[in-house]
Amino acid sequence: MTSVAPQSQPHLTAPIDLTAAPALVAKAPPRRLGRTLYLAANIAVLAFLLTPIAIVIVFALNPTPFIQFPPVGVSLRWFEKFFASRDFMHALLFSLEVAAMTTVAATVLGASAALAIARGNLPGSRLIVATMLSPLMLPAILTGLALFQSYVLLDVGRPLWGLVAGHTLVTIPYVVRTTLAVLHNFDVRLEEAAQNLGASPVRTFFEVTLPLVKPGVLAGAIFAFIVSFDQFPVSLFLVAPGSETMPITLFNYLKFDLDGTIGAASVVSILLAFMVVLALDRTVGLRSYVKL
Amino acid sequence: MTASSHRFPLSRRRLLTGAASLGAGILAAPYVARADEPVLNITGWGGKWGDVMKAEIGPAFESEFKCKLKTDTALPFLPKLQASSRSAPVYDVLHTNSNEQWAAVEMGLVEPKIDPKLVPNIADVYPYAVSDKIVGVCIFTSAIGLGMRTDKGYGSVTSWKDYWDAKFNGARGGYVIPANSLGQAFVMMCGTLYGKGQTDLDAAYAALEKLKPIKLVDFTGAMEKLILSGEAGIGILHDSGIYRYDGQNQPVDFVTPSEGVLSLEQVLSITPGSKVKELANAYINYMLRPNVQKRLAETVWYSPANKQVKLDARYDAKLLTTPEKVGKLIQVDWKWYNAQKDEIDSRVNRIFRA
Repeated sequence: MTSVAPQSQPHLTAPIDLTAAPALVAKAPPRRLGRTLYLAANIAVLAFLLTPIAIVIVFALNPTPFIQFPPVGVSLRWFEKFFASRDFMHALLFSLEVAAMTTVAATVLGASAALAIARGNLPGSRLIVATMLSPLMLPAILTGLALFQSYVLLDVGRPLWGLVAGHTLVTIPYVVRTTLAVLHNFDVRLEEAAQNLGASPVRTFFEVTLPLVKPGVLAGAIFAFIVSFDQFPVSLFLVAPGSETMPITLFNYLKFDLDGTIGAASVVSILLAFMVVLALDRTVGLRSYVKL
Repeated sequence: MTASSHRFPLSRRRLLTGAASLGAGILAAPYVARADEPVLNITGWGGKWGDVMKAEIGPAFESEFKCKLKTDTALPFLPKLQASSRSAPVYDVLHTNSNEQWAAVEMGLVEPKIDPKLVPNIADVYPYAVSDKIVGVCIFTSAIGLGMRTDKGYGSVTSWKDYWDAKFNGARGGYVIPANSLGQAFVMMCGTLYGKGQTDLDAAYAALEKLKPIKLVDFTGAMEKLILSGEAGIGILHDSGIYRYDGQNQPVDFVTPSEGVLSLEQVLSITPGSKVKELANAYINYMLRPNVQKRLAETVWYSPANKQVKLDARYDAKLLTTPEKVGKLIQVDWKWYNAQKDEIDSRVNRIFRA
């Protein structure tokens, strides 16, 4: 093999004579201006995203029973009230339980569907994709009402599995979409190679296919968890008496007691979501998301 | 066949059947265990009402009547009742404010009246609780008047018309009328104050127009906070929304306007298709018992509908506990209002959007 000398290297390392390049000098200020504007736009977007969280934190830590700015002090009284409330604790654990079941169901079903769509040579696959994504187009409150009516017709009441099914319905599209995105660039020859080397279809799936589509599946699973944990409109109709999820409990609470407990509950929810992402990063690694 | 399969003659089919039976058994167990225990499905509020119902009132009822009380506190109740079968409704007793009860009765979802023979405590309620403005029976009421700050030097406020005073411009709190029954009741009050009566909508719209600038909120809880934080100096509010801060050194007070207070009723009604009507009537009778009324009234500052209730002095001084005080209540014709609601919603949205 012959080596190729990096011919352009001297140009990159050589000092630039600015006096000899007036055009470059003239262009420098607009570039700096552009960079400043770019930075400002990024800061503005970040501020837009983080301001509601900052307000929630201020509300949660402010001792007054209403939103006040500037805050008059720092207190943990709303966190104490939140953690002392049996209703909130029950709702928090119940939401986690529902979100965990939903994540498993949506991930298994969504990822399987995506694989079938991408690989199955199914007739009308575009229509199938559109159908799989349709829960996102229908207002979720109507999905909740329709499911509620279905359960009433079936005379099954409002069981836990019914709530999980409702959440799964609205979270499957996220898993399908993210898994399909990865499968789109998937090199089928890798699977063929594995099978040529004697791997069974099952082994090929677990040792070749799954690791390669993992970023998409994982991204979908995280979406599913967060969407389920924060799900309000579908839960509104499907929660059973005495088994309310966190968003429903918050909604009921704020109709009668609009105090900092709402802020404390929101901060805890944000921290929980963050911890889930962190735990996933530690266990399965999120760097692979970069591929998405 | 291997030796191990002789020792464990478990085929895949048997395993799946067994697992399915076990799963079905686990899922059905709670229902089987309670198969002979009647269940009363009701609606109810959250907050302190929900707390005391869950901790004391509900368990005492369950114990006395040997039943299970299932309370749905997740709004909205009417769409769920609408979606369920008329012959097997999702609720046996519907607890809402009066406006929703009228919507429910118009759709045939609840029975218009309660039979006093089946609910003997109805004999002790104030006339307003079973008036022609009420579906079912009213068990409590709140007075809708004006909540205001006492530390802003506004001077004396005695009339609803003071709410229009220019000194409250920018400090006036009101409701998103289509979404809030206090706001809706206030529309009728505007017709009474500036026109020929509750149904004089033109006069009401003209009066509402003059309220701008005004800060609008959806929920009464938000109005409380608006006043507590000082963001609003005056706002339409029910008395319990102010009295609940009694003894907490908050610079707020409730004003009973000289023209009278609007009635915000807590109403119970029974669904026609309920399979446990006897229990439903027993529940309503129980909720009208003096001791139950007293406990709830003193927890959430609602005025009891039962005349026989004797509240502690602190509550008795403020709540509507005598015929004279009750005489100040103005009941809203919700049947009429609901029939005009679409038109009113559209018009008030235009007024406050501009």
